[in-house]
Amino acid sequence: MPSWADFQPFIVSGLALGGVYALSGVGMVVLYQATGVVYLAFGAVGAMGALIAWSLINAGTPEWLAWLVCVLFGGGVTLAYGMVFGPPLARRDPLVKAVATLGLTLVLFGLMDLLWTTNGGQSRAITLPTDNGGFTVGQIQVTWTQVIGLAAGIAIVVVTEVFLRYTKPGTAMRAMANDREITATLGVPVRRVEAAAWFGCGVIAGAAGLLLADLVALDATTLTFLVISSLAAALIAQLRSIVLTFVAAIAIGLIHDLITPIQALSNYRDMTPFVLAAVALLVPARQQLLSQSREEA
Amino acid sequence: MKIRQRAPGARGAAALVAAMGLVAAAGCGSSSSSNSPAKTPKPSSAASLTSQCGTKPGVKATGTPIPLGGIVTNQPGTSFTDIANMANAYFTCVNNNGGINGHPIKYYIETEQTKPPQIAGDAAQLVQTDHVVGIVGNTSILECTVDHSYWEKLGFFIIDSGIAPECYSTSNSAAVNMGPRYSSDGAVQYALAQHVSKVVFDQSAVPGTGYIAAGPAALAKAAHTPIVQLTETVPITDANSVAIKEVDAAGPQGAVVLNFTPPEALVILQAAQKLGLENRVKMWGCSTPCNTDFLAHALGPKWNNKLFVNAELTPPDSTSSPSMSLYKAILAQYGHAVSGGIGSFSQMGFAEAEIMVHALESVTGPYTVQSVNAAIKAVSSFNTGMLCQGWTYGSYPLHIPNNEDYTVTPDNGRMVTAQGCTLISAVDPQIAAYRKAAGG
Repeated sequence: MPSWADFQPFIVSGLALGGVYALSGVGMVVLYQATGVVYLAFGAVGAMGALIAWSLINAGTPEWLAWLVCVLFGGGVTLAYGMVFGPPLARRDPLVKAVATLGLTLVLFGLMDLLWTTNGGQSRAITLPTDNGGFTVGQIQVTWTQVIGLAAGIAIVVVTEVFLRYTKPGTAMRAMANDREITATLGVPVRRVEAAAWFGCGVIAGAAGLLLADLVALDATTLTFLVISSLAAALIAQLRSIVLTFVAAIAIGLIHDLITPIQALSNYRDMTPFVLAAVALLVPARQQLLSQSREEA
Repeated sequence: MKIRQRAPGARGAAALVAAMGLVAAAGCGSSSSSNSPAKTPKPSSAASLTSQCGTKPGVKATGTPIPLGGIVTNQPGTSFTDIANMANAYFTCVNNNGGINGHPIKYYIETEQTKPPQIAGDAAQLVQTDHVVGIVGNTSILECTVDHSYWEKLGFFIIDSGIAPECYSTSNSAAVNMGPRYSSDGAVQYALAQHVSKVVFDQSAVPGTGYIAAGPAALAKAAHTPIVQLTETVPITDANSVAIKEVDAAGPQGAVVLNFTPPEALVILQAAQKLGLENRVKMWGCSTPCNTDFLAHALGPKWNNKLFVNAELTPPDSTSSPSMSLYKAILAQYGHAVSGGIGSFSQMGFAEAEIMVHALESVTGPYTVQSVNAAIKAVSSFNTGMLCQGWTYGSYPLHIPNNEDYTVTPDNGRMVTAQGCTLISAVDPQIAAYRKAAGG
């Protein structure tokens, strides 16, 4: 068994990884809270935004403008998807809505493969200015980008919670997610509120894509399917609580990395999100079953 | 020339991730795209150089075509079409300058998506429908594994870029590249020569890693140096923990040697840099996929003389031999389909086409499967201009004709030569078996 000193560096890297999962997981729960859609294209939208930013930077565009384009691309694509496919799918089962976003994922993934080919072994990277500064914890350097990644997750949680709970449009979004038609009959401008939710989520996807391209990798496959691990955090929170999603994401990142120095478990560490999600889903289901049995008895 | 491509069907996330992993196992996103257009000759000067492709400059070959074929992987995230496309460019150049004794080469390229039945079907298509007399330019994750028995039965001797173990361990396949195992051997060998106290060898966790790991393990054992073998799930999403784990395992006098595709290697090395770990070990090593100017540029000067990369082919930027000039001229004039430009992939395609043309020119009489493959098998010590050593096919039970290589290191955004041609140690039992068979 490794010593405490062996585990210390992995606490830092685990927090950074948890922050990565939190960015995607929280973004997905925000949209689910507002529209009732599990947006599986979250990763692909961010990945494509980041690749566009990379291309612009290489073509000589100022970095700040490229970042802005990345964020706006996320907002634009997500808004367009929500406006075109949101209304016709509004009455369908949540599973159908989620699978429809998988269609958008595959379209974007195919486009990325076509436009940013990997032939010839090309590799790409986005480096943010915040990578060059930071501080040391133990023997590990912590960059400002990692701090921003974690802080961005916290900021999104706080802002979204406040927005959904205490503002009029936020209340309208929550009502709409529960029942679109009743909300409309109450005079809420459903299309406009929905558009705001989709655009907001897309902006988060674009910003997350930019940060994750730096923190994880600027690679279409990696960023597109990172959402699967992040989804585990959202499932642990049963897609209901943004705060719990954030906490679950940090826990997943920490446990994942703390397993790394344990040789017997190290190769299985990538199962962490799914094992934790399975446990989180099975335990309440079992308790529900037991209470039902007791009632019947 | 005819290019027949099969469209990749829709596939799920799992299949994509698995395919990426297989490429990493192969260590064969192999290569270097140093994409330096400034080095490519202008079309006018390229035209005068490319007239050397054939024996009759400027005369188009009009005789009966000689049909040749190749099978390459082309799927989302993994495409080796540049290799076959470069071979195609070379053949076009030959056809426009007299051909092979007046005969043009007709090159059929089949693409596949890592599906064994499809790969077997491609081979049958080339033989039974296209009636090819030779196979060249194969670069596929699974082709050697799936088709080697078929080629042996029909008497085809394949000139390829190897990935799977069967490309190097069977009688009818000879590659121009070293492949992941021997390239990893080269990287570990360099580290051992720097007297490191320990080697940590890390690669992707996919089937076939045991075969690759056996080479570095044998080298470390012979040098009485401890070696730690690690594997990672790809794509890597936790590069920080991977980098910390590697550095902790190697120790301050140890070496970390990576065998990943360029994007995965870059992710690990950048994570190490961001965490301030690059100087916590004596040196870092990498197999051939890391040999790209892009990687050197992305990493920056902190890695100058800290990262040492095995290079299977002659560095194109610093070489001005006639072969290298012809390669660049053909690429400029005929290589419009070669998306990666100058780099290892197109160098491999050039070398394979060169060898095939050399073999065809030695055929007397009709171009049949028997005559062409006998000529291929007879190629001996042929100077491709792209490798450290002459390339030989021969009648051997296994073929590793490229077993001598360079080591390069980043130098302010470019890869430069750190060590010239060096033989891969025969401590690797496969290398020893090949040298014994080849009488080396």
